[in-house]
Amino acid sequence: MAQKFEIAKDEEQVVVFQLADQTYGMDIAAVSEIIRMEKVTYVPRAPEFVEGVINLRGRIIPVIDLRGRFGLKGAEHTRQSRIIVVEMAGVTVGLIVDAVLEVLRIPAESIEPPPAMVDGVDVAYLRGIALFDGRMIILLNLEKILEEDEKETLGEAEAAAEVTV
Amino acid sequence: MFSETEISVFLDELDEKIEILNENLLLMEKEEGNPELLQEIFRAAHTIKGSSAVMGYDRMSQLTHEMENIFDRLRQGTLDISSDLVDLLFESLDLLKSLRDEITGRGTYVDIETTVSKLREFASGQDHKACEPAAAERSTAPPAGCASNLTEAEEDVVRVAHIRGVKAYWVRVQVDPHCQMKSVRAFLVFETLQQYGEIIKSIPPAEDIEKGEYGDVFELVLLSHEDAGIIRNLLMTIAEIEAVTVNPIVLSDEQPGVSAVSELAEKTIPPDGVQKATDTAEAKGREEVLKQAKTVRVDVQKLDNLMNLVGELVIDRTRLERFVEILQRRYGTNDLVEVVDEISTHLVQLTNDLQEEIMKARMLPIAQVFNRFPRMVRDLAHKLGKEIDFIVEGKETELDRNVIEVIGDPLIHLLRNAVDHGIERPEERAAAGKAKAGTILLKAYHHENHIVIIAEDDGRGIDVNKVRRKAVERSLVDEETAARLPDAEVLNYLFLPGFSLSREITDLSGRGVGLDVVKKNIEQINGFLEMSSVLGQGTKFTVKLPLTLAIIRALMVSIMGQVYAFPLANVMETMHVSRSDVRRVRNAEVIAVRGKILPLICLSALFNGPRPQSHRLSVVVAGIGERRVGVIVDELLGEQEIVIKSLGDYLGRVPGISGATILGDGRVALIIDVRALLREAAREVTGEALYAAG
Repeated sequence: MAQKFEIAKDEEQVVVFQLADQTYGMDIAAVSEIIRMEKVTYVPRAPEFVEGVINLRGRIIPVIDLRGRFGLKGAEHTRQSRIIVVEMAGVTVGLIVDAVLEVLRIPAESIEPPPAMVDGVDVAYLRGIALFDGRMIILLNLEKILEEDEKETLGEAEAAAEVTV
Repeated sequence: MFSETEISVFLDELDEKIEILNENLLLMEKEEGNPELLQEIFRAAHTIKGSSAVMGYDRMSQLTHEMENIFDRLRQGTLDISSDLVDLLFESLDLLKSLRDEITGRGTYVDIETTVSKLREFASGQDHKACEPAAAERSTAPPAGCASNLTEAEEDVVRVAHIRGVKAYWVRVQVDPHCQMKSVRAFLVFETLQQYGEIIKSIPPAEDIEKGEYGDVFELVLLSHEDAGIIRNLLMTIAEIEAVTVNPIVLSDEQPGVSAVSELAEKTIPPDGVQKATDTAEAKGREEVLKQAKTVRVDVQKLDNLMNLVGELVIDRTRLERFVEILQRRYGTNDLVEVVDEISTHLVQLTNDLQEEIMKARMLPIAQVFNRFPRMVRDLAHKLGKEIDFIVEGKETELDRNVIEVIGDPLIHLLRNAVDHGIERPEERAAAGKAKAGTILLKAYHHENHIVIIAEDDGRGIDVNKVRRKAVERSLVDEETAARLPDAEVLNYLFLPGFSLSREITDLSGRGVGLDVVKKNIEQINGFLEMSSVLGQGTKFTVKLPLTLAIIRALMVSIMGQVYAFPLANVMETMHVSRSDVRRVRNAEVIAVRGKILPLICLSALFNGPRPQSHRLSVVVAGIGERRVGVIVDELLGEQEIVIKSLGDYLGRVPGISGATILGDGRVALIIDVRALLREAAREVTGEALYAAG
């Protein structure tokens, strides 16, 4: 019990992944599974960053291309490409990344607030930078990434509703 | 604190009881003083009072306590049913619902003081009646052998007695009206019975009976080991006793009771003089017991999960079928292939059956929705000063709970319309030579693979020519065409947004929601709305609904290498057309089909892809109601049964896509939203061309 508390306080467990030559990390608590890249069904007229939908054991979940989301150059999916399935606030979404590297425990003291701009990625999506083991890991603010999307799709739905009237 | 499960069980029960109250309050007004009805109402209120007190919902318990008092007085016959009282009881019921919403967090704090004091006033207002000695002369005797008029506690005693093998009887003793010593006779009856059993209740109270203060009849509840016939014969030996009936008491809701009751029913030899009614009442009671013993409350989520699993199974089944085809092609008729084929065929049968059974389990009687309406119609009619007979038929018709959830609002709207615009005022009706009270009929029935719901009134009907003029006025159609249009088509203008005939806007209909919304709601669940009307005779709406929303047949097509599904209900036909036959009207493509103009939409272009270059075009003619659109696709693949899945909250509504399904190979196919395509077509083509196509 005491040890667990310590982890929660002084360490963060993150899933570390690769995206366009950068190393990122996201809180492991939000990750429900990591699957291999599979054929994604394109959803026409969905928001641009939405790559499409996949069948996750009978559930249909949307898949977001994180490169697209961050405004990075798109790239062909390779054998290393993975879909990180995250679950937050009741929604399940797959995030496409170039490769998943490892799961790390990062001491809290090595995490610093994010700089204004990191390789073109909007700072709003970032939670901090971890300098750990001689590497720089950019920690994502997952909530922000998903939340913002929701607003946009909502706008879309409203636009559709307008057409109806 | 109570666990979530406990609270949810409580809420389920609460809903059930509220429903009972709602339904029976209306009946009560009609069948004044029906004791069984009053008993049921009383019991429902009593149960809510008890369970809400246990759960610590004090205000709910207090409110139901006051309601129960009123019901008790009604039951005792010391309070008369009046329209005001029914209104007040309905008000209390609404308050009860608000209290429930407060618990579920959907509502805010509810103050019950005003209503409670009104209830108290009513309960005490007619108090003088309670003092009248005539209380005993109530003409409404409890039905023989039925458990009514027993309080919950007494029922418990009876229940326990049943379990211990002791029988409970309802004993009705009629004394000679000229009897001079009623008290003595009664005393003898008590004395005799107490030798053979235990009296747990008497009407009127025992003291009154022993003082001779009863009419000609008094009633007792007796627990005894003896047979009914013996008890009756014993009592008949007492002088000046004119008639005795002894009927076994059957508790309609006996819990572990199937065995106890059937045993009772088998062993008891019906005593002489028992009316036939007893038998039927008893049979009914038994039936209810059996029915209840067989039902189980299941969380809706579980059914949905089960449905999803079956959906998965259907997908695998389709895969297996395809696999068998491949095997046959590769190996021909080989023993092994045949075995696989056989398994596959059997699996098809099994999954079909399974699917059907689960569908049935998801079905609910439409009474769930219909039961809300009598009250609504009554209140509305009251408010508008109209007299309306509201007839409901086919309440037991079952349909998918998803459909039930969405059908409520459109029906409310149609009924409101009927009350507000359809039915005339009594004096107006009388002048037209009609019955003063209008009739609204709401009826549901199965027809092939559909549910049909009819909402019909015998009111003033719709003046078709007025609609014609209005349509011309709004330049929806030119005068000449309007004159030629058949009445049925003219009525369709009423389904257009903002098209209304009523000049005066009442607080009922001035809410900015029209028939267009009703139609849209119904079409959204693949339903169909039709209307017909005869001026002066009434209006009839016919709603056709699919039995379920979860699994549909679909036409599969491919567009840009991806598979899409058209709900078959929206597919009129498919055809191949030559590119040279496509004409341009303004900035839209159209084609002539059998003399009519059909607007065309190219899906791949709509989905931001290239237009197909081939000379021959594959076209799906899709439509809803009268509207049609030709959809150009890359390839027609064939029909298939698909399980509809949502794209999820995250994506929300994607224009042109209504959902998704999983194909045999595990990939996701999107389902085309035909409604959106029709809108798209309407935007591209001028309104004129579109109507011509219809």
